[in-house]
Amino acid sequence: MPKTTLFFLLFYASLCFSQQSDFKHINFTKADRIANTTKTKRLYELNKLTYNLTNNLETDVEKLRAIYVWICNNIANDFRLYTLNERKRNRFEKDSLKLENWNSKFKKTLFKKLLKKKKTICTGYAYLLKEMCKIIGIESYMVNGFARTATVDFSKLTMPNHTWNVVKLNNKWYLCDPTWSTGISFPEEGRFQFIYNDGYFLADPELFFLNHFPADNQFSLLGETAPNFIEYTELPLIYGDAFTTIKEHISPNKMDHILKKNSVFTFQYLLKENQNINKIKFIIDNGASEKTIKPEFHKKNNILTLNHTFKNKGFFDVHLYLENKLIATYTFKITN
Amino acid sequence: MKTIPTFTTKQPTFILLGLFLSLFFFSSELSAQDLLVKGIVKGQTYEETEVLNGANIFLKGTNIGTSSNKKGEFTFPKRLKAGDILEVSYLGFITKRIKIGANSTYLKITLQEDDNQMLGALNSNKRFKSKRNKE
Repeated sequence: MPKTTLFFLLFYASLCFSQQSDFKHINFTKADRIANTTKTKRLYELNKLTYNLTNNLETDVEKLRAIYVWICNNIANDFRLYTLNERKRNRFEKDSLKLENWNSKFKKTLFKKLLKKKKTICTGYAYLLKEMCKIIGIESYMVNGFARTATVDFSKLTMPNHTWNVVKLNNKWYLCDPTWSTGISFPEEGRFQFIYNDGYFLADPELFFLNHFPADNQFSLLGETAPNFIEYTELPLIYGDAFTTIKEHISPNKMDHILKKNSVFTFQYLLKENQNINKIKFIIDNGASEKTIKPEFHKKNNILTLNHTFKNKGFFDVHLYLENKLIATYTFKITN
Repeated sequence: MKTIPTFTTKQPTFILLGLFLSLFFFSSELSAQDLLVKGIVKGQTYEETEVLNGANIFLKGTNIGTSSNKKGEFTFPKRLKAGDILEVSYLGFITKRIKIGANSTYLKITLQEDDNQMLGALNSNKRFKSKRNKE
């Protein structure tokens, strides 16, 4: 498809935000059950696998769901391949020919491993989802971009570091990130753990944007309101569990803040429906020690509002936890 | 001397029989155009060309398809007609469309590598910690 056409498609799609709640009326139980009971040792027969996953499902969104959940339950993150690729890409960063060469060789190893061992890294997940979507006739693209986690240093990040997907359902485009839905890596231990995160399946574009900046900005699905890269790096830092707990990060809209001592600061979030949030805490770290604070809060129409007064001078990392799940981090410089 | 009965085409039964037989004749003509399609799928990268194990081969617009084996070979499960289009794809390669011709019984398909970069950001749940300058 020509790029311009795609642009218009995406642009119009973005006029109304596309998200999982568009499919509230659809129950994913059946799709999930099929995904959970379908097993295959290798992936050499993707046609057959995809057919088995989707054959008994009616709607495109259920078919996509079965494929997505299957991928997230079965494809492990290959930590060793990831490290190897990072090292080589950094080494060849300035030499495009060598980088191309490495990429080509690595790609081959990666896909062989994916089909044989069901292990991969981000782009592998995105490819697999795209390929399986194609088999059942759902249009999708891979999106390369700059993803953000606590350990990403934007001052050193010069090339895209992550790949995710956009998929088209009922003529609207939706976002999903199969890699981050699959589980969590523990870099120090060189270990990966499957933990399905539903929040990255047909994610809300605004929330998704907080840690996914597409290299091609039409894929943000935010249309012209999408912040630029510098603005992106200044947004609050959110974590995987934010996607299972909140629907919208209302305020603050920056990560770093400078405040006068004794001023009150307000945090506000739109919670996902049916979230019963009672345990709310901030862990405030001054660099040497940390303390836990139960902020004053109120809830109205699923909007959670928190207030906190910073009484001491200093520089603090402020981590928000809802129901003991890490949601977001902000920094505060408190002056006299 | 016995006379051999001869059939005259004027008899309607025989005309009908002839028509009936010609049906078989034509239909066998048609089925001769149904092709059993086999082939081999290879992938070409910057460095080399090698067979692809697990490439997807599809009849366009249907869910009839198959996958290539360890040697890159496949036999399409449905007989095809000239003009049918097969879509051949493999992860990391550009999908190719092959139009079946009257003599396409053995296809040699070579896919070209796509130019997407392989990337990966780890999804770690590590909590952020500010870098502080020691004063």
